[in-house]
Amino acid sequence: MSITSDIIRGHTETIILSHLVDKDSYGYEINKAIQQQTDNQYELKEATLYSAFRRLEQATLITSYWGNQTTGARRRYYSITTLGRSAFKQYKTDWEEAKQLIDKLIYGGNKDV
Amino acid sequence: MYERFRERLDKLFENAPQTNRAKELKEELLANLMDKYNDLISSGKNDDEAFNITISGIGDIDDLIRELKEKDVFDYGQSVIDRKKNALILSISIGLYIMSVVILILCTEVLNIDENVAVCLMLTIDAVATCLIIYNVVSRPKYLKADDTIVEEFKEWKSANTSEKAMIKSITSIMWLVITALYFLLSFTLGIWGFSWIIFIIGAAIDRIITLSFQLRKR
Repeated sequence: MSITSDIIRGHTETIILSHLVDKDSYGYEINKAIQQQTDNQYELKEATLYSAFRRLEQATLITSYWGNQTTGARRRYYSITTLGRSAFKQYKTDWEEAKQLIDKLIYGGNKDV
Repeated sequence: MYERFRERLDKLFENAPQTNRAKELKEELLANLMDKYNDLISSGKNDDEAFNITISGIGDIDDLIRELKEKDVFDYGQSVIDRKKNALILSISIGLYIMSVVILILCTEVLNIDENVAVCLMLTIDAVATCLIIYNVVSRPKYLKADDTIVEEFKEWKSANTSEKAMIKSITSIMWLVITALYFLLSFTLGIWGFSWIIFIIGAAIDRIITLSFQLRKR
């Protein structure tokens, strides 16, 4: 599992972007979706999640705004920018390429070994 | 429970700089932790279990805090913008000082407006310029300590000291300008060249009072 989480952590930004493509969202909602999609096998640490948010915001791939909750603490919502959308598209093609290359390198063209 | 989370977060953020960014991050985290906690409670966990799971899910917060510090001290792009803004405000206010005298001469000599009105107009323009300069100095960002070393304390002290000096300097230079203007104004209009020079002695006294009041305030 540790190799798996290392690999996943390397793609935190892409995973966040993929959750923002359809609608704006906030930290916990994204993390919960990740948990559900992986059948509770994987969950991001808050520290990892929020430094990824900061990096994405700095690169202007996402923007943020405060929600208007009346009770309790306010939520900070994130939304993807046009630049973010094109970056996400690029990430996806890169990932497809990497996946194929790694498959070739590990299995040596023979998937049944 | 809200309070319990807030206390824990305050402790985690103890070493973070006290900036708006840090406060915002803390608020954001708090809202999300509360959501997670409430979810855990509704899935059947008891208070302490839910609290502990939530807190341990935060992970290593040091990286986040380090980022906050770096941004505050070495935000180069922001400092360039700030410097440009400072320069702009300063040149506008100096321009206003010069303009005020031009307007005074124009009003009295060309437009034949009442002298009192003209002087009031000039002083109002000067007041605006003075306000701009003071705003400029006061609103300049303070240097924040990156850690508790002596070097950082020295940097903070030095930054506080130089900004204070700059403020005294700008206030006294404004004052001297006004005094010189007053000297000519009073002497020309009232013809009291014989004793209007006293204003410079008064000016010297005010100068010392300004410096002294700053030093006293610091204690």
